[in-house]
Amino acid sequence: MKEKIELMISLPKIPDIELVALEGMDRMANHLGITDGKIGEARILITEAVINAFEHSGANKPNVLVEYEMTREKLIIYIRDYGKGFNPDDVEEPDIKEKMGSTNKRGWGLKLIKTMSDDLTIESDDTGTKITIVKNLV
Amino acid sequence: MSSEFNLKSEKIDDVLVLTTAGYINNVGGEKIAEEFEKHFSDGIVKIVINIAESNVVNSIGISYLIEIIEKLNDSNGKLIFTNMEPAIEKTLTIMGLFNFAGKAASVEEATKSF
Repeated sequence: MKEKIELMISLPKIPDIELVALEGMDRMANHLGITDGKIGEARILITEAVINAFEHSGANKPNVLVEYEMTREKLIIYIRDYGKGFNPDDVEEPDIKEKMGSTNKRGWGLKLIKTMSDDLTIESDDTGTKITIVKNLV
Repeated sequence: MSSEFNLKSEKIDDVLVLTTAGYINNVGGEKIAEEFEKHFSDGIVKIVINIAESNVVNSIGISYLIEIIEKLNDSNGKLIFTNMEPAIEKTLTIMGLFNFAGKAASVEEATKSF
């Protein structure tokens, strides 16, 4: 039977708290015998999703909830914030040519998440946003 | 996993080699940019960033590197990234950085390629 392990963490808005989420994922991967090379992209996905959740949630008490379901084959990441929500279609796709010469060099998080994930669902309304990311590990 | 960031700076002839260790976030990115500025103002336009010991980056930290690349491109200079782990190389590729910066397997290979 395939072993599946789960983790749920509520992150407060303090500097570099995304590293706590990464530490949890790393330990789960280690337990399942998943090599470091296979979770490199998952690290990027989690980092960007947590930072985005904190930056764009707009909530007064912006705790972000992170949940993982991990098997040797797949990691499912749920990132939940309780902010004002957003429409993913309104997020402009960043372009490096336009960023050169612009004072705003940021805004890459969603593009990285979309490109690196194997499946992505964004559910958002005025009570917050839930992002579900699937990352295959094989 | 530590948020500590360390930066080693070394000149090899007319090439500045910056070696990072730890999380390249806003703090790490800013430290890299500050060190770059010290040498850029002295006319150094060949830069190598060795990120072998940084296995976590975020796009905010990388945005500081875009600023460096922009300044170098405006001054006929070049930035070359070395020793990238695959996920970080993929991140920089998705962001399009290699349209304006180089990459190499090692610092030695990078310094020879200017």
